[in-house]
Amino acid sequence: MNRPIMNRKVSNGMQIAILLLPGILIFGIFTIYPIVKLFIMSFFKWDFGSIFEQTFIGWRNYADVVTDKYFQTAFANSLIYTAVTVPGQMLLGLLVALMIHSIPKCRIGFRVLYYLPVITSWVIASLVFKYIFNTEGLLNYFLTNVLRITEQNIRWLDSRWGGLAISMLLGIWKGIGWNMVVFLAALQTVPQELYEVASLDGAGSIRKFFSVTLPNIKGTVLFALVMLTIGGFNVFTSIKMITNGEPGHKTETVLTWMYYKAFSTGKFGYSAALSFIIAAALAALAALQFRVMHDKEQKPGRDGL
Amino acid sequence: MKLTRKTAVYAMIYLILAAGLAVVTLPMIYMVSTSLKPNGALYEFPPRFLPHLKEITVENYQYILQQSKFYRNFLNSILVSIITAGMAAIISSALGFCIARFRFPGRRFLFTFIIVTMIIPGTTLIVPQYELAVSLRAINQLWGLIPFYVAWVIPYSTFMIKGFVENVPRELDEAIYMDGGSILTVFFRVILPLIKPGIASVSIFNFLTAWEEFPWANTVINDDLKRTLPIAISGFFGQHQFTQWGFVFALSVLSLIPILVVFISCQKFFVTGLTTGGVKG
Repeated sequence: MNRPIMNRKVSNGMQIAILLLPGILIFGIFTIYPIVKLFIMSFFKWDFGSIFEQTFIGWRNYADVVTDKYFQTAFANSLIYTAVTVPGQMLLGLLVALMIHSIPKCRIGFRVLYYLPVITSWVIASLVFKYIFNTEGLLNYFLTNVLRITEQNIRWLDSRWGGLAISMLLGIWKGIGWNMVVFLAALQTVPQELYEVASLDGAGSIRKFFSVTLPNIKGTVLFALVMLTIGGFNVFTSIKMITNGEPGHKTETVLTWMYYKAFSTGKFGYSAALSFIIAAALAALAALQFRVMHDKEQKPGRDGL
Repeated sequence: MKLTRKTAVYAMIYLILAAGLAVVTLPMIYMVSTSLKPNGALYEFPPRFLPHLKEITVENYQYILQQSKFYRNFLNSILVSIITAGMAAIISSALGFCIARFRFPGRRFLFTFIIVTMIIPGTTLIVPQYELAVSLRAINQLWGLIPFYVAWVIPYSTFMIKGFVENVPRELDEAIYMDGGSILTVFFRVILPLIKPGIASVSIFNFLTAWEEFPWANTVINDDLKRTLPIAISGFFGQHQFTQWGFVFALSVLSLIPILVVFISCQKFFVTGLTTGGVKG
């Protein structure tokens, strides 16, 4: 009677191991090992392609990053980008979701069409925006010759704020669809009775939104807030394609600046320290959010594709 | 009276939604319209949103389609995306199943790592991953992209699939065990068939992620013929002194077609993937 149970236990362990092995191997080699390596590299003077030994320099890379005025600009840009695009796409996404939720027909059609920017790749979307905002482009023509707001074409890409504005506009444009779908799903979970009760109490649409809808989708709002904040600091491809940090590194974000230092100047140690700061800050932020929400019903997803 | 007021409100909402849609889709329409204009007219003055009917041309598409490297780039993207999605589906289903159903040593540790890596942006690891790729001789190799992409999408996929597995009643597992079935039997006969829609939605996202990935491929692939489509597009963009926007956008439109096909044919799974990720209940 004992033997089969024993046998079974051993083979159960083996079977679980077989199932886990491929995942742990790939995840271990290509993600966990690089995380550990990142941490180690951040304490070394580690120049790419250098024939010299990498030397341990303690916190020097971290000090270099924090005191670097280019990093400070990049960090400020990332903060601004996040502070503008996150509320922008959330509000617009929620607004679109509320409208689609309230109409009787064509819901799926609107949902599909509003989602199109999300599935357009960052490279393509960035190029389209760059083309529209070109000095001789469509937008300038519209502003100078149709609306006659300005006399001369605006050189969007020649200034920090112009370049950032295009990138932020792109970020919002591309994010509305994701927010819309997430909020639409949340709206469907709000019990209909609550609205009926509110109606009996004589509440109008705006009152209903603030006292019924909003409290019931609070979890989703928080979830979206965190995912989008992470996404905001993750911005890379659009900046790279639209401004490439120009003019004079004034439009870099943390990740494009990290990339530039690593692959244009070979300062791997510096970039590792920078990356580690960003990764740790975002992980801490997310941990804080999980603490705040403490709601098992909410699950993280992924920043809109 | 009340009915007409309601109708008026609806009419306004439809109007606002349609206006919003016009603004949102404007960049995409402009992209398509530019790709259909003759290449010489791209620095036209005044710039026009739509081409004149009689000047519409497919010469930009012809130019792209005549280049043999387009087919290579296209095939590269297809191969990398499909293999990434396939490998990630198998690996994350196994991981998600084990984490949802068993208490094995290191389970907590593994799950914590999955959550943490879901949060930190993939690009922050590009420096150590580059060093790893150098030592694995994966630089400038198409196959070198795949394990990195798979590792990249595993955390999210595993997390989602763990949720799908938890929705399968444990009684179904128990029934198989009572009949003397093994863990692998449960996995292949019960769990996989039941969570198929979940796997499909996760796989679509993984396919799209690999299809549009830019930073990593741009860093490790140099060779023209080994490029994936996003790198080919950005390469086109930087190639000439003045950018040939007609070519750039024709190539962009061509690379969006498979995505649109997947998106439209898999509508159902798209919503499953997003809403299970975002909200539940």
